[in-house]
Amino acid sequence: MKAIEVTNLHKAFGETRAVIGVNFTVEQGEIFSLLGPNGAGKTTTISMLSCLLRPDDGDALILGHSLRKDPMGVKSVLGVVPQEIALYDDLSASENLTFWGKMYGLRGAALKARVNEVLEIIGLTDRARDRIKKYSGGMKRRVNIGVALLHKPKIIYMDEPTVGIDPQSRRSILDSVLALKSEGTTVLYTTHYMEEAQELSDHIAIMDHGKLIAAGTHNELVRIVGEADRITLSLNAESARLIEAWKRTRGVQQVDAEDGNLTLLVDDSNQVLPRLFEAAAASDVRITSVDIQEPDLEVVFLHLTGRALRD
Amino acid sequence: MNKIFAVALKDLTRSFRSAFALIFMFAIPLLVPLLFLVMFGNLADEEQGFELPVTQVVVVNLDEGGAGFEQAMTNLPGGMETDSLGALVVRVLQSPDFGDLIAVRLETEPATARSLVDNQEAGVAIIIPADFSAQYAAFDGQAVLEFYQDPTLTIGPGVVKSILNQFMDGLSGARIAVTVSLARLEANDPAVIGQVIEAYMAAQQQDGPSAARLDVRTPVQDGPARSPVLVIVGMVMGAMLLFYAYYTGVATGQGILQEDEQLTLPRLFTTPTPPASILIGKFLGVLLTVTVQVIVLLIAARLIFRVDWGSPEAIAMTIVCVILNASAFGIFLNSLLKSTRQGGVLFGGVLTVTTWIGLLPIFVGFAGGSNPMIDSISLSMPQGWIGRMLLDSIANASLGQIALSGAVSLAWTALFFTIGIWRFGRRYV
Ligand SMILES: Nc1ncnc2c1ncn2[C@@H]1O[C@H](COP(=O)(O)OP(=O)(O)OP(=O)(O)O)[C@@H](O)[C@H]1O
Ligand SMILES: [Mg+2]
Repeated sequence: MKAIEVTNLHKAFGETRAVIGVNFTVEQGEIFSLLGPNGAGKTTTISMLSCLLRPDDGDALILGHSLRKDPMGVKSVLGVVPQEIALYDDLSASENLTFWGKMYGLRGAALKARVNEVLEIIGLTDRARDRIKKYSGGMKRRVNIGVALLHKPKIIYMDEPTVGIDPQSRRSILDSVLALKSEGTTVLYTTHYMEEAQELSDHIAIMDHGKLIAAGTHNELVRIVGEADRITLSLNAESARLIEAWKRTRGVQQVDAEDGNLTLLVDDSNQVLPRLFEAAAASDVRITSVDIQEPDLEVVFLHLTGRALRD
Repeated sequence: MNKIFAVALKDLTRSFRSAFALIFMFAIPLLVPLLFLVMFGNLADEEQGFELPVTQVVVVNLDEGGAGFEQAMTNLPGGMETDSLGALVVRVLQSPDFGDLIAVRLETEPATARSLVDNQEAGVAIIIPADFSAQYAAFDGQAVLEFYQDPTLTIGPGVVKSILNQFMDGLSGARIAVTVSLARLEANDPAVIGQVIEAYMAAQQQDGPSAARLDVRTPVQDGPARSPVLVIVGMVMGAMLLFYAYYTGVATGQGILQEDEQLTLPRLFTTPTPPASILIGKFLGVLLTVTVQVIVLLIAARLIFRVDWGSPEAIAMTIVCVILNASAFGIFLNSLLKSTRQGGVLFGGVLTVTTWIGLLPIFVGFAGGSNPMIDSISLSMPQGWIGRMLLDSIANASLGQIALSGAVSLAWTALFFTIGIWRFGRRYV
């Protein structure tokens, strides 16, 4: 049985079509990432898959339970880590975990033991009795995750769990995701950081404007763009003429100009770079910095959408 | 079921964690009656409860007496040493029972007495006319005495008036007794009249003085003696208790919207808990919070202010109705809102206006009056029926006497709950 099988999900909010015909499959025990920029429809997808939003069309099977026909069955196999922190900040971490544990059907001694275990996992045993409102952002995020671990669910959804926190907390969260996988938990992970998707995922689906535009393993996705390199440049002056010239230069696939930075997709940087410098000199523009990158998801996104996947 | 209680208990815990909420739920409702007491009474005598400042009373007894009174004295072994009804009034006022409340000073000239009041050396002057006894003895006569008070005072003269009222009521009772006795004896012996009055008054005095007359709405008056200040403090406390019970109902009812906005409600909906159980748990949380608040206030008022809430059955019934109605009201009002941003309208407008209108009779009651029109206006609000139950209960009403108000309040409660549950259910379930 597949962990998650999504067929033709649709959701619109009035005029906004947040999710348009999304299909994907997640195997048991893998980490599957939905990668996409702000507003891509990741949270909307997760909300439908956790029975919070009713799809306009389509359905999904979560370990065989249909969203539409068996929402309670779906909820009982899931742990959900919402994008925004959803905790009672006037209760302590241990009170929060105890309460949420009860909501997941845990009781008595088993509940108590599990709360202590989870406090260990999220590294907050020392601060367990402090009210959440006194916690740092990173600590709150960890409790937010801890809640979803309480009942040892087979599947965990994590919606951008690393947004807005320090590198150290981020590292510990990524490690805990990997630890979950090693215990056999299936993780559906959303992010707009391609490094996270790259590091964690067995499979990645790239989402943009409500649609899945590509899906596969990291290597499969990178192969979409072939042997392209990505070159990021800055110039001492803006020049529309130069950009036009570059677009016509042999070996240049794409030029994307945003916020004064230029991102180019080229066949082989060794051959193309001299031509770029030549054109710049001809236009009386100086190139002040150059950065060359081997193909990655960023390149794939650029290739597929013509836009950079920015933070 | 367990999950319902988990939600409710979590809400209860959170309600009592917020300092802000505690101030509104407990501190203010207790502080207001306390201020009232400090203004009108003092906490000096622990044994006696709270006391009024002693009111200075000047009495001018011009009563020339009437046949029979003098004889009555001699005819009754250990009888009162009075030779006129006026003297009896003086004796009653001078009775040690009222020593804490009034100090009596005798004068001979009405003008002197009035000027003492005008100069604020006395709070009240009582002038008993020469024909007081005679008028009383004459069966078609009317015994009237002059009550001259300092208009700036309310409570002191009120106390004196209530003592006099009590006494005069006793006298009318005595007169009926006299008439009946005479009819039976078929005689018109003034000595008998005197005897009957003396015997009747003696019997009355044994019950002790009661100032319950200040308690204007009192339907039944068989309770123990109460100090008028305590009765008023009881009413202030009752008004506060009711007002803040509704406040708490509305404030904790808002918890449903708050949890929605703070995203814990959606998160609850991702747990394997039926949405209906979550909502019922939230409703139960409101109910439990109001219950704890009301019971704590009730007991605190009893211990701190010695408020006499009435018979246990009546107050229990009243309290159940208060808790249910205040909770249902809170849930109902919040179900009408889209977000907590509209909450100000609830607190500033609907809650305040409806509750004050409902509690108007209590405030009119402070002033020592009752007004049928205000009563009926107040009964247009559910809080009016609840307020009435509480007032009646304080006045020692029996369960039967508050049953109608209770039934009406329960009907309101049912209506509020139905609409609230329906609207929230449609929204979330
Ligand atoms: N409740 C809603 N009402 C109206 N529009 C909504 C609602 N929720 C989401 N949207 C819209 O749907 C689109 C997708 O939003 P969604 O939150 O799913 O994106 P996301 O990929 O999670 O973005 P982010 O990375 O910023 O979290 C956006 O255009 C958003 O404005
Ligand atoms: Mg999102």
